[in-house]
Amino acid sequence: MHLRSSLALLVPFVVAVERSAAQELLLKARRIVVAADAVLTDGALLVQQGKVVWVGTDIPADARSRAKAIDYGEATIVPGFVLAETTLDQDADLAEGALAFTPDLRAAEAFDPWDERLLALPALGITSCAFSPSPRNVAGGIAAFVKPGKDRGAIAAAELHLSLSLTGAARNPERQPTSLMGAMDLLRTTFTAARTGTRTGPDAAVMHQVLQGSRPVFVHADTWAEINAALDLSRDFGFAVVLVGAREAGKALPRIVQQKASVVLDTLVPEGRLEPLRLPARLAEAGVPFCFAGQPEKLRLSAALAVRNGLDRRTALQALTRMPALLLDQQQVVGSLRQGSAADFVVFTGDPLDLDAAHVATWVDGVRIAGTDPAPKPAASAASATVAGDRR
Amino acid sequence: MNARFVATLTLSAALASAAATAQERTTVFTGARILPAGRPAIENGVLVVAGGKIQAIGGSSLPRPDGATTVDCSGRTITPGLIDASFRGGADPADLNEQSDEVTPHLRVLDSLDPEDRSFERARAGGVTTVHVMPGTRNVIGGLGCVVKTWGTDPATMVLNAEASLRIVMGTEPSMGNRAIRGGSVDSMYYRRPTTRMGVVWEARKAFFDAKQEPETVPGQAPPAANPGREVLKRVLRGSLTAYTTARSEQDIRTALRIAAEFGYQTVIDDAQDAYLVADELAAAKVMVLLGAPSAPTVAGTAGADGSDPRFATVRILAERGIPFVVTTGSNLSALDLVREAMFAARNGLDPAKALDAVTILPARLLGIDQRTGSLDVGKDADFVVWSHDPLDPAAVAESVFIDGNSVLASR
Repeated sequence: MHLRSSLALLVPFVVAVERSAAQELLLKARRIVVAADAVLTDGALLVQQGKVVWVGTDIPADARSRAKAIDYGEATIVPGFVLAETTLDQDADLAEGALAFTPDLRAAEAFDPWDERLLALPALGITSCAFSPSPRNVAGGIAAFVKPGKDRGAIAAAELHLSLSLTGAARNPERQPTSLMGAMDLLRTTFTAARTGTRTGPDAAVMHQVLQGSRPVFVHADTWAEINAALDLSRDFGFAVVLVGAREAGKALPRIVQQKASVVLDTLVPEGRLEPLRLPARLAEAGVPFCFAGQPEKLRLSAALAVRNGLDRRTALQALTRMPALLLDQQQVVGSLRQGSAADFVVFTGDPLDLDAAHVATWVDGVRIAGTDPAPKPAASAASATVAGDRR
Repeated sequence: MNARFVATLTLSAALASAAATAQERTTVFTGARILPAGRPAIENGVLVVAGGKIQAIGGSSLPRPDGATTVDCSGRTITPGLIDASFRGGADPADLNEQSDEVTPHLRVLDSLDPEDRSFERARAGGVTTVHVMPGTRNVIGGLGCVVKTWGTDPATMVLNAEASLRIVMGTEPSMGNRAIRGGSVDSMYYRRPTTRMGVVWEARKAFFDAKQEPETVPGQAPPAANPGREVLKRVLRGSLTAYTTARSEQDIRTALRIAAEFGYQTVIDDAQDAYLVADELAAAKVMVLLGAPSAPTVAGTAGADGSDPRFATVRILAERGIPFVVTTGSNLSALDLVREAMFAARNGLDPAKALDAVTILPARLLGIDQRTGSLDVGKDADFVVWSHDPLDPAAVAESVFIDGNSVLASR
């Protein structure tokens, strides 16, 4: 309430931000990771209207002279990290209390643009996320694609996948279902009813979209039993499944491969057991598409721990950027820095998978919303002369 | 003593190497006393296993295939893998009961099964290779039980029958969680029937009454509204699915028999602690009786004794009366390993060969899996146990356990 009443005061500032987004920006750094498998050395990004309009070492001369240059010197620019599953600070508002089956609810309706956790994401290198129904319900609803901003966040796409959950959190002794077999029965019954047309209405319509293949499905499943249950549903009802959490995915690996399932991992912690720490490398070896997720504060740490436990750096970076974008079907706009994609990127002093690399800045839609501008260079250097020249 | 220890080590090493490629190569187990179940013992027997199946079984004169690995089991006893026809385990207890409704016939316990549940490991260590897992005892009609092996490379390979039984529960357990006011509020799903023994019976009768009333689907006509639970009850009424009614006290056993007779379905009486008091009725009804934990001096469902008064001699009385029975661990929290329960049955007067049959071939026949397992016969799955002593000897331990020819015992 307090924040909203001060909205009027912010309006002139928002307009100023809009104007700066319209200006062409030329961003330089020693290394620009366009995608996990394409790294530019001493290249530049040309950004306009919040999008990447050119990327390479051969920026056209007219654009070069027109754009405002920002040189991050020895730093590394990487695509903004994409968080494939989160409830931000709004978990309480993302699961209906009395009903476990609410597939037609949209997380977008619960979205609070002023969510403090959302606004803290850029400082962690995260530039977009799937704001998802809570795993506390069996069929929680439909996730939304949201982005943080400098002062407030915004919904970028109101409807992504259907979020289902078979975890312990979805089994509640105070309402149906209280057990895993009850959760499975609920989903089997409703999928069957949607298939045979004996159930209609908005919830059945969403289940029908899944059966037709027009609505992707994420299923929260941690244990071997839960993962098997999710794969049973995927097999019996013919939809592709993205497993969320999947702590014991290693045990079900042959089936995961066979059924072409993907995995959204939970947070990895250094003090944890070896099995989850080695899981990313095992998934990569088996060719299972996966991405890191879990606590935003530990997203980069999770990737670094996976590298320490056998995952190659390229796949690790992919699993922070391109792969979550693919799983959310947002790869055209986020996850890499190709021409036409959103200018969502993060500047680190080095490789983000090295934990001694410090965060410098985060840009979303061509606007710096966290961190700092490059430190001023000594007057004699060529770089600072260019910046001065561009300012004229 | 030392020599015996060395011999055990040698045997273990031989078994481990036999297991490594158990599925591919032929292994011959020699020198053991073989109790094949359902027929007489074979002294100095030979068991030939390959491809996860029993290829041959016989005395010492049985020809041995060329190139086979031989495992010397001298001094040991080999039996079929044991079968627990009422196994309390296989999943987190909270996942065995769907408490949002009292009557949930269509829920499949297989969906809740955790292939790594510790109870499977304990069962394997005790020589149990197949179990019948039913939904828990907190619902009047809990759902569909399944028959699974206690080990598999993948959960799917464990399953012998995904829908083997329908569990019905008499007594006070199903009504335990229900209250007029639970947690100080009537605003709860537990504000419901039943809260009494008579309420439990009412729920069961109503479910079968409704299933019986519903017209069968007529070809060419629109089917009645989908009701998967009712479909399961109709399978029981048609005789294509066996009911397992858990009934411990005398009155509950009588009630279970009465409802089954009223609606005309076949039931097995599970955990029939007071069976010795109802022997005439059980004999007349020609029902199979499962005796849970014959060793236990007290009954323990979650409702405690629930009115029943178990006696060690019950199994002997059933045997003498010719009432078919199977020994299980049931829902008794203090149940010993299945083999010890068979031992207690023998100690209290049951013929030892019958005691072994009661945990092998008889439960296999009851569960309809006797073509696959339950005895050591050519063509059956290579599910067997190498015991240090006769399995009914109190000192007996399972030295090796094989399921589908794979050695499945973790090192002790």
